[in-house]
Parts: sequence; structure tokens; C-alpha cells
Amino acid sequence: MPAASGILRAPATPTPRAPASDRGVSIGAARALARRALRDARTRTLAFGYLFAIYAYIQPAGYRRAYPTLSDRLAFVHSFAGNDALRLFYGYPYDPVTIGGYAAWRVGGTLAIAAAVFGVLAAVRALRAEEDAGRTELVLAGVVGRRTAYLAALAAIAAGLLALWLAQWAGYIAGGLPVGPCAYLALATTSVAAVFAGVGALVSQLAPTRRIALELGSATVGLFLLLRVIADTATGAAWLRWLTPLGWAEELRPFAGARPLVLALPAAATVLLLVLAARISIGRDVGTGVLPANDTAEPRLRLLSSPSAQALRSERGSLAVWLISTGAFAFILGMVSTSISSAGISKSVQRELNRFGSGSIVTPSGYLAFVFVFFILAVSLFICGQIAAAREEEADERLETLLAQPRSRGGWLAGRLLLAACAAAALSLLAGLLTWAGAASQGVAISLPRMLEAGANCLPVSLLFLGVGALAYAIVPRASVGIAYGLVTVAFLWDLIGSLLAVPRWLVELTPFQHVGLVPTEPFRGGDAAIMVAIGLLAALAALAVFRRRDLIER
Amino acid sequence: MTERRDDESPILPRSHEDAPGPAIRTEGLSKRYADTVALDQLDLTVRRGEVYGYLGPNGAGKTTTIRLLLGLHRPSAGRSELFGLDAWRDPVAAHRHVAYVAGEPFLWPALTSAETFEFLARLRGGTDVAYRDALVERFQLDTRKKIRALSKGNRQKVQLIAALATRAELLLLDEPTAGLDPLMEVAFRDCIEEARGRGQTVFLSSHILSEVEALCDRVGILRRGRLVDQGTLQELRHLAAQTVDVAFTGEVPQLPALPGVSVESVGPGALRFEVSGGIGPLIAALADVGGGSIKTLTSREPSLEEIFLHHYDGSDGRAGS
Repeated sequence: MPAASGILRAPATPTPRAPASDRGVSIGAARALARRALRDARTRTLAFGYLFAIYAYIQPAGYRRAYPTLSDRLAFVHSFAGNDALRLFYGYPYDPVTIGGYAAWRVGGTLAIAAAVFGVLAAVRALRAEEDAGRTELVLAGVVGRRTAYLAALAAIAAGLLALWLAQWAGYIAGGLPVGPCAYLALATTSVAAVFAGVGALVSQLAPTRRIALELGSATVGLFLLLRVIADTATGAAWLRWLTPLGWAEELRPFAGARPLVLALPAAATVLLLVLAARISIGRDVGTGVLPANDTAEPRLRLLSSPSAQALRSERGSLAVWLISTGAFAFILGMVSTSISSAGISKSVQRELNRFGSGSIVTPSGYLAFVFVFFILAVSLFICGQIAAAREEEADERLETLLAQPRSRGGWLAGRLLLAACAAAALSLLAGLLTWAGAASQGVAISLPRMLEAGANCLPVSLLFLGVGALAYAIVPRASVGIAYGLVTVAFLWDLIGSLLAVPRWLVELTPFQHVGLVPTEPFRGGDAAIMVAIGLLAALAALAVFRRRDLIER
Repeated sequence: MTERRDDESPILPRSHEDAPGPAIRTEGLSKRYADTVALDQLDLTVRRGEVYGYLGPNGAGKTTTIRLLLGLHRPSAGRSELFGLDAWRDPVAAHRHVAYVAGEPFLWPALTSAETFEFLARLRGGTDVAYRDALVERFQLDTRKKIRALSKGNRQKVQLIAALATRAELLLLDEPTAGLDPLMEVAFRDCIEEARGRGQTVFLSSHILSEVEALCDRVGILRRGRLVDQGTLQELRHLAAQTVDVAFTGEVPQLPALPGVSVESVGPGALRFEVSGGIGPLIAALADVGGGSIKTLTSREPSLEEIFLHHYDGSDGRAGS
């Protein structure tokens, strides 16, 4: 190698800056690659960073305001001590009497899930997506070795994790938690992101395309989340916590007798996954995955009759994943709702719970009403994915080919929106149906029509977001996907935390989530629902009008 | 499989007769993106049955022109019509007469070629399936392969076959042979000749000069969004310089300066003249100074490449986008 590159590098006339050595070139190239990858990821990193910082700030600050005295907190803790159903979302509460312990439970548990998603996204984007787009081939055709390219991608991912850790840490400090222990809490969350970055790196080696890699990665997150949920809720299953990175983050026990030695688990898992991925990466053909790509097939002519049919055909895989995971989650929620009872919850705490947006979670149906807020969020996020799919069709210039046919633009967009709305309706009703089935399987007396109504209650908000997302797509196509996801996330967080802050009521009520009746405990709020659907419909019509008269915009 | 509609004649596509106007007509067609003028005051008419070559380097505005013709982008000024139909106002009606091959062969990666053909055919409401099968044979395409597994050249074939099989009155082709191997390039040229024979109109955007020279009745040359020259190859040649190479047996004689003639030495005893306008004065001058010492005299018309380069002389001719 030194001899060959010596010949290559010997210039006919001396140049002012000859590269110093192979190592120098390698480090320079790695730095350039890492910088490029970091830049590609900056929108996602910033968005997650903001989310982490704000969430980490709001929860301790809100808790301090809502439960100023020790007796308040004791009452609060009492009411939750036996509440399996809340653990499902937030994880196991080790010491919720202190503000730190509360933050570790409420923030740590939730953000750990977001961190897992971040890890998978970051790694798949930096590794498989680059390869899928053919850019890795270009890089490796240069003087950059596979090891260098891989390490550069890892460096970029690590920088993203560092940003996430710092953002969360800063949020806790601003929320009034002690500097040292909350750095450890933020580290516990970030450790989950690191392990799942390892998972992302591994699935990037296995899957032949970005899409399959993301599907494998999301399935892994879902599986480990399910393990944690079972460990935190089912009796005698606590040991399962040791099998999932999300459980390790809990076992680190920030603010509740910290056990830093447990950090060895995520560290070892991360290193193991990354080394395994590296070995596979070095041994395989560039541009392929370990799993065979199914590239030849007899023609199947179903779902090709119109642009909408073809859209359904291309989205059916992801739709199936959404249906299965929503259904499974709904069933589990229905099952655990049986553990809810009003015993031991004081009236004052119940009042306070209302301020947390948790409704009156003292009965199974009250609990289910509360959890359906999360289904509304899920369906709304699904809608964002549909906006993203429409945008991708345009960005990849497939829409150009499609609309060069005698097909109208309005028809195409309307078809896609209708498809998204129907799929959202299917998801919502399925959530209602399976929650009922789960609850009924445990003998909880709850009416099926009411639970279907709770499901249908997810639709007005998501149709509102569909219309607004479509309008964003028509007006600012390149930014529309970020706008859609951003709106949904901000609206949801604002619903959770807005009532904790000293802001005017009307400001809190800006989020559509505030206008949802918590079916089945509260009545369906038909008026609000009609207004939201009307706004969504008007926005969609405006989107159709705008989309008809703009240029198609490629990537 | 979607069958061709019965009311179509086997040779000419449906509604060829009833649509008024030339295949393409633009007046003052312009497009501005942010601070770049991509197309500036294009006046273009392509008659029915014509094969029109649209030449220009990368970024000259060829793709922009096609997107405006199809009504995919909105004109900043001016208007354009396909068979008398405004494709911006009524794209569906205009597109019934058109088949399009996009510059980048982005298609649906999870569909096989056969599925892609079927999808595109259904979007149109029918295509000539028998002709399509013949084209698949001719272009040697494995239609069971998914688009994502195909090379760029093969994806280009998929687009081409789908477009040709429609037998649309107008084929809008944006650099259709990019990525095709020489054998397929020959097959493509045969297809275009056949299309011409059937009376179809072809608008061929390209920067492959030999292809345009071989196929096109008329040529337009685009430079930085402006149409700088247009006409049949004969007409374009008329304007450009003719090259005359003369080899002498002995010393190179001294020639008087002639208007419209430039001269350079291309070796011992050899001169090259670039002549604009008539060649007569040069012949007369050569006869005067030493007709006996001329060993060989060859004259040739400029190639399209020379005409093209002539228009880009002294600048790279590239626009911003």
C-alpha cells in the first residue's frame, strides 16, 4: 500500500501542500465524511434536541408547581403506587416523591422511547440510506477505505447523541434539578439511543434497502418496548427488565439510588452491535444487504388501476405494520385497564391529575379515555407519514411521469388524501375494537359501541392535521413533512404541559387536543369535532386549489 | 392486460385528426426560477409529423421547456400549446396526445417492468400491447425484474418502451438515450424512424449530436434559455463556415486576404480555409497564385458538431440551472 500510493502521489512538480501520509489523508477524509453526515442529520438532531430540552425542563418545573409540599407528593405517589397502567407509558417509578425521582420516571421513561427511535433513525440514515442512494459507492471508489467510512458515520451519530444528551441535561438544569445527578439521568436516556444506534447499524447491514432497514429497526424498538411494558406491569416479570435496553435505563435508577455499574450493559451492547455491523460491512458487497433482495417477480396486476390504487399498493406494507402494532398495543392497554381502581386516590390528587391532562384515571374506562389521547397522537403521526409519502412521490420525480399521463393533479392529491383518511379511520376503529377486546378478556365491563366511539374520536384531530399537512405540502412542499410532524408534536406536548404553566387559558386551548372529549368517560364533543373536520376539509380544498397551480418541485 | 381500444386505427393514434393546431406551438414562453432565467422568450413551432431535435448543453433549459410544454411547471410569461391545447390550463386533454420520457428514469422501485407498463397503460386508458411486447423483445428487457434492480440504461428502456407503445401523436423525449448501449441506440433510432413513418411527431431533446443529425428534420439550438438558431440541417449549414483543406506540392503560396475567409496552417505545405458564404472567390484566388502546385483539395460541409460549437464559441454557454 505505501509503495503504490507513493507512486500515485508523486507529483511531476512539487505542490505546495502534499498530503502528509496515508493516515493524514484518512483522517481528513473521515472528518469530511462525518461533517457531511452530521449536516444531513441536522434537522432531525435539532428537532429531537428541542423536544428533549423542553420536555426535560417542563416536567420537574410543573411537578414543583403542582405538588409543592411533601404531603402533596406523598398523596400523589400513593395514588400511583399500584397503578400498572401508568407505568406502561412512563416506566417504573422508583422514587417519585423527590422532584428528581419524578423527573426520572416521567421524563426518563418517555424520552427513552424517543431516544430509541432517534438511534435507529440516525444509524439507518447515515449507513443504509447513503448506500441505498449510491453515495457510499462513490465515497468508497475514492481513497477512503470501508473502515474509515464506517467510523466517520459513527462519529456523526455519536455527535448527534452528544447533542441529545446535552440538550436534555440543559433542560433538567433549567428545570431546577442538581447538575451532577441530572447529567446521569440524561446519560441513562442517551444510553438507550446508543444501543439502538447499534441496532440501526446492524439492520443497515442486514436490509437491502433503507425502507426495510427502518422497518426492521422500528420492529426492534417495538419489541423491546413491549418487553419493558410487560416487565413494568405484569407481576413476577420484573426480571424481563434486564433483557431490554429500555429496562436498563430504568435500572440505572437515576435519583433513586443510582447504579452506574449498570451502564456496562448498554456500553457492552452498543460496542458488540457496532463491531458486528462493522464485520458484516467489511465482508459484503457494497450496495447489497445480507438479506436477499427479492428483485424478480411474476407480474401482479392488482392495485394498478389508478394512482390511488397504486399508492395503496406501495403503502400497504407500512399500513400493515401500523395496524398490527396499534392493534397489539390497544389490546394490551385494554388488558391492563383492569388494574385501575379509585381506592386510595384522594380527591385533591384527582383534581391535580386533571391538571396533568390525565383526566380522572380512577376507573378502567377513565384510564382508557386517557390513553386514547395517545392513540390520537399515533393516528396523527400516521397522517404525517402519508404527507411524507406524497411528498416523496414528487421529490423522486415519479409524480412527473405520472402527471405527464392524462391524469389530473387534483385527482391525484385528492386520492392520496382520501386514502390517508380511510387508513386513519381503519386505525382508529381498530384501536377502539381491540381495546374493548383486551378489556373484555379481563372481565372489565365496558361497552363495545362506546369504545368504537372512542376510536372514532381519534379522527377529527387527525383529519384536521391531514388538511393542514396537505396545505403545507401544496404551499411549501420541501418543508411540508417537517411542518406536519412538528405541528403534531408541538400540539401534543402543548396539551400535556400547557395546563401546568401560568399561561392564559386561550393559549392552552390553541392545541386541537384540548378540544377532544375523553370518550368513554366524557361525552363525544360533536361541535368541536365538526369544527376541526371543517377546518381540515377547508384546508384540504385550499391545498387542492394551490397544488393545481404550482410547479412540481423535485428534490 | 389492457387492450388497445377498438376505435383506434392501427397506424394513426386516436383523435389525430380532430385536434387542431400544430403539434407544438409556443409564443414568448419564459420561465424564471428565483433569480435564474431558465427559458427566455421561446417561440417554437413543431409541425405534425416532424422529428425535431432540441439541442443544448446541460442547463441550457431543455428540461424546463419540456416541463412547461407538459404544464408541469407554470410559465412565467408567454404561452404554449400542444395540438392547440394549453397544457397548463387543461393538462388532461393535452396529455392524451402525448407520451413522455423523463430525463431521469425515476420509476416506482418496487414494481417490476411488466407492472410498470401495466400501471402507465391504465393511467392512459390503454396502449398497444402487441407493439409493446415487440418492443420488449427488440430492446431485450427482462420484464420480471423490479425497477430498483435495473441499471439506469434498463430503466431508460422501460420508459421508452412504455412511451413508444402508446403510439401517441407526440413523443416528448428528454435525453432518451442516456445510458443506452450502442446496440440499443440503434434500436432506438429504428423506432424513431418507424414513428416518423407512421406520421407521429417527435420532440427529441438531446446533446448527442450524431443522434440528432441522423434523425431530425429540423434542429433548434438552445443556449442559456434562448433559442439561438433553428432550421433544417441544410439551412444551418448555410450559415456556418465550410472547411476547405488544400495540400500543395511545394512552397505554400501567398494568398491575398479575402472577405469571409480565414486561413490557418495545418502542417508543411497544407492550409485550412474556413469559408463563410460562397466558395468561388477562394477557388479563383487559388487558381491565380499557383493552380499547378495544388496536390489535393477537399471541401466538406460543417458537421452539426461544428455548427453547435460555433454557437458556443468563446463561452461555455452554460446557464445556471
